[in-house]
Amino acid sequence: MAEYGISVGQRVAVIWDSSSPVEGLKNLVAKIQALVGPESRISVENIDQLSHSAHAASSFDVVLSGMVPGSMTLHSAGVLAEIARILKPGGCVLLKEPVAAQIGDNSRIKTAARLLTALTLSGLVEVKELQKEPLTPEETQSVQEHLSYQGNDLLSVQMEGKKPNFEVGSSSQLKLSFAKKSASSAKPAVDPAAAKLWTLSANDMDDEGMDLLDSDELLDSEDLKKPDPSSLKAPSCKESGKKKACKNCTCGLAEDLEQEKKESLQPKSACGNCYLGDAFRCASCPYMGMPAFKPGEKILLAENNLHDA
Amino acid sequence: MIQALLQFVFTSCRPDAVVDPWLPDLWGRILPLYPLPPGLGIIGPDVLLPSKFTLHFLDERSSGCDGEAARQAPSELHPFAAQVVSNLRVTAESHFQDVRLIEFDVTGSGIEYSAGDVVMIQPRNAPEDVQQFCQLLRLDPDRCFVLKPSEPGTPLPAHLPQPCTIQHLVACYLDISGVPRRSFFELLSWFSPNELEREKLQELSSAQGQEELYSYCNRPRRTTLEVLCDFPHTTCAVPLDYLLDLIPRIQPRAFSIASSMLALPNRLQILLAVVQYKTRLSKPRRGLCSTWLASLHPQQEDVRVPLWVKRGGMKFPAEPDTPIIMIGPGTGVAPFRAAIQERVAHGRKGNYLFFGCRQKSKDFYCGAEWQELVKSGHLTLFTAFSRDQEEKIYVQHRIRENKGLVWDLLSRGNAHIYLAGNAKQMPAAVAEALKSVFQLEGDLSPSEAEEYLTALERSHRFQMETWS
Repeated sequence: MAEYGISVGQRVAVIWDSSSPVEGLKNLVAKIQALVGPESRISVENIDQLSHSAHAASSFDVVLSGMVPGSMTLHSAGVLAEIARILKPGGCVLLKEPVAAQIGDNSRIKTAARLLTALTLSGLVEVKELQKEPLTPEETQSVQEHLSYQGNDLLSVQMEGKKPNFEVGSSSQLKLSFAKKSASSAKPAVDPAAAKLWTLSANDMDDEGMDLLDSDELLDSEDLKKPDPSSLKAPSCKESGKKKACKNCTCGLAEDLEQEKKESLQPKSACGNCYLGDAFRCASCPYMGMPAFKPGEKILLAENNLHDA
Repeated sequence: MIQALLQFVFTSCRPDAVVDPWLPDLWGRILPLYPLPPGLGIIGPDVLLPSKFTLHFLDERSSGCDGEAARQAPSELHPFAAQVVSNLRVTAESHFQDVRLIEFDVTGSGIEYSAGDVVMIQPRNAPEDVQQFCQLLRLDPDRCFVLKPSEPGTPLPAHLPQPCTIQHLVACYLDISGVPRRSFFELLSWFSPNELEREKLQELSSAQGQEELYSYCNRPRRTTLEVLCDFPHTTCAVPLDYLLDLIPRIQPRAFSIASSMLALPNRLQILLAVVQYKTRLSKPRRGLCSTWLASLHPQQEDVRVPLWVKRGGMKFPAEPDTPIIMIGPGTGVAPFRAAIQERVAHGRKGNYLFFGCRQKSKDFYCGAEWQELVKSGHLTLFTAFSRDQEEKIYVQHRIRENKGLVWDLLSRGNAHIYLAGNAKQMPAAVAEALKSVFQLEGDLSPSEAEEYLTALERSHRFQMETWS
């Protein structure tokens, strides 16, 4: 990857502040110039003058802020919002800022988490921390100098953020599945050829040449056989998982189900010994107390027999 | 040896479970002491003994071979075929129990009886049962046979005529409606050609199978005929020679005579409750004798019942002035009806009857008769109708209510007390009531009252006849 994610022909803005050493700034700008090529201009902006520069919205591919070695830049919400505005959709910001481990009272120095939140709130996406390192002694001095911060628990954090790849205020239609599909609901166009085929005009009936078929001739001897009533029972009704006869059932399923219902009330022999006498029946046999009967013979138990005597 | 015997005596409350392991032990001890004569051995359990008798069919069909033997005085061996004169239901149609007053004509029988005697009746199997039995065993009911003992010297069954028809044997002799015993299953298992049935029969006759045999036969009162139906393969393979070993004789039934010869000469009446109840078997259980007697229609046909008379347990006082207190709830009143009729015929008074039943309108047996005797001053009647009011009133309550009279009759009149009827709670409750009468009226202590009752019993002044 090219350094700072910069490639040839991109527009880059470098933001500096009072803490940035002049030498460092010059080096950085030269370095970037080399990356983008001689055709592109680099905008070098003072952080305090940024909003006054009145850059057009969405004009930079990359914005670098606080990246000048040795600088201790603090980004206010206004600066971050301005950076977000001037970035092109999909453009990238790289910034470096000293952060404290804990939020101090009345201090302008944020924590790393706060910085992350500030970037997100200014409208940037895919915000991530790239690097975190302790300050060098010179940097600590610089911080104390410029930011009048007395602690020495500071870290320098480098963050990256991206502008979403659409413009602020742009609109796009959502495709919702429950939306009425205008195309499919429309009546399909009638093929005129097909329509003609199915239209029998009154004139055709008078036509001598019109040959009308005797519909009976379409049937062969096989079709004229009287069907066996049992074969007429709809097999599909029975094969489908749930047996349910339709109202006014004519296929016989209703009677079958009724019969089945009756039979299901009769106990079924699981052991096969029910037909034998009591001596061979199990203790819970519903036929207990009744005489033996022939295997397969249908024995109807009276309702009162099903209860224990 | 003595130890073994003692051990048996003390644990014989459930005989089958104890006898089985005990017997081999006993023989194991006896045999060393008294060895078998040489050449003889013990017959193992895997040997079928020969039948006691063999059955020889005669060529002739039933044509008078069922002939009546010459008449003698009626006894168990020669019962008198008494004609049934009437068979009346004495309970209301709506009443749950069917109780009959049945009258027999004993003219020419030589039968004599007095109050307290019992009549023995030899019942017979229902025709449909006989038919079913013959079908199951593939018997021709009309065939005649003679019995011959397998071993010389064995007496032939005295109650069977010789020659005899199959019909007579099944209808009048074999107790096919009784509950079969363990030995029945043991013998039957020998004849079974069917493995399933044989194993079940062996199981039911084994010591381990006794619990099951009890719940299969005894608890539901399953009859021999019903068992035979359950083992059809075995039943049709039973050798006829073994029929008499397999099925016992129908036992005669005893009934208290409910009439007096003095009041009804040449007649004999019994008061009979028709036994019918339900077990877990779908067919209701019916008493063999009572069902048969109740089914007779003397007004339609000439029906005869084999019977004879036995001396009863209750003796009524010979002295004419001794009063009697009779406690006879339900059919327990039967012997007292005979006693009252007899005493009234002799003109004796001092008859006190405590009668109990459920409802005055439904099972107050012979109610009109009693009212007549009360009016004529021959009878003092106390009735307890247990269901005619909210609280149950039984004869024992009436005894307590009339404690003054009861005590007076006993202590001053030297009265006799008689108790007859169902042997459930009633006898104990009446004994309690009597003891409380002795305590309250005779100022006896509880133990003295107990002793007084025992003394009455010992001197036959308190007699009981109860049945279940």
